[in-house]
Order: sequence, then structure tokens, then C-alpha cells
Amino acid sequence: MASTVIGAGITIEGEVTSDDDVVVQGTLRGKLVAKDAVTVESGGVVEADIAGGPVSVGGTVTGNIHSSDRVDLQNGAKVIGNVKATRITIADGAQFKGNVDMDV
Amino acid sequence: MARTTTRTDAREAVIGRSTRVRGKIAGDGDLLVDGSIEGDVTIRGDLTVSSGATLASNVDANAVTVRGDVEGDIAARGMVRIEAGARVRGDISGESFALEEGAEFAGRLDAQFDLPAELGGSGHTGKRR
Repeated sequence: MASTVIGAGITIEGEVTSDDDVVVQGTLRGKLVAKDAVTVESGGVVEADIAGGPVSVGGTVTGNIHSSDRVDLQNGAKVIGNVKATRITIADGAQFKGNVDMDV
Repeated sequence: MARTTTRTDAREAVIGRSTRVRGKIAGDGDLLVDGSIEGDVTIRGDLTVSSGATLASNVDANAVTVRGDVEGDIAARGMVRIEAGARVRGDISGESFALEEGAEFAGRLDAQFDLPAELGGSGHTGKRR
């Protein structure tokens, strides 16, 4: 379980920085930097650039995603922004608008 | 962190030990802070500031429990508990207030309470600063 959880009823406007993993079930506007996994769950809304380890999106992200590991856009995800990661999956049912940079 | 996991549900937000937030936090759930926050916190639920956590925020919440450091004003609709090891600098208002031995508090206190009988009789409601 995650050390930081932005719950469904919570809105953060600003910058979130973590050495661990972050789960977003609510709303985050600003900037998100995590050294470990970032999970945007279904219903979660991130209007921010995300930098992290493995990034998994089931909710909505408006902003660029930069992962040191992998990015998984799950069924139901809606992502508008560029994705940079070494490995990327886009599941059937995920919506994605932006560029992919896999550093090849 | 085992301690935080058991308390997590969709209505609660947890700011983990190594997590830092700079900005505003608002919402209707509870908030548990193990890390640090710089910015105002306005929630409808309860706020808990763990030992080792730091808040540089004006707080507006239901019940507030502090075991860490808070610099800023606390406005609670419910109980405010400043527990042992806590350090609070700022004004506090709330429905009721508890300051444990071993807690540090510098600020103004605005809470309704009943004066004991030997200090002006029962039934009197005082306001203390």
C-alpha cells in the first residue's frame, strides 16, 4: 500500500514531492514528483506534469509523464500530454493524445 | 509503512513520511500527515499530524490531532488535541481543546469551557486567552 494517498475527496493545488510512491484518487493540480511508483486511479484527476518511477494511469492526466521505468495506460485512462519512458503500454480502452518518447 | 495502510480508504488522504506538499489542500475527507505540508489545509474531515510531520499551514478542519510540528492557525469545528511531543505555534480555535503534558504550544487559544466551581461557580462559560 502506498505511503501517500490523495483520497477521492481531496484536491491539492501545488507541488507534491515524494521519495516513495504516490496514489491519486482525488485531484492534483500543479506538479508531481515521486521517486517510486505513481498511480492515478480511476476517478483520479491529475492536471500536472508527472515525474516518477513506474507510472500507472487509470484516471485522467493532463500533462507530461516522464518515467524512469514504465508507463501503463489502463482501460479507462485518459491522457493528454507527452509520455517519456523506456517501456509503455496503452491498454484497449485507454484514450491518449500526445507524443511517445521511448528513448530509442 | 504499516501504520498508514490500515487507515487508508477512499475518504482519507495520507501524506507519507517522505512526501512534501507545497500548495493548498482542500477536500471533504480526512487527512493524515506523516510528511510535510507548506500551504493551507481546508478539509471537512479530521486532520491528524503525526509525530515527525511538519505543517506550515493555516488549518481549517473538523477535529484536529497534533503529534508533530504545526506553525499556523488552527480553526477546528470539533476537538483540538495537542498531544505529547507536539509543537504548535499559532492561534487555535475549536469546540474543545486538550493540551497534553509534554506538548509545546505558543499562541492564542479560543475555546469555550465551563469554569470550575471554585473559580466563579458552575454554569459560567469562560473564554480564555
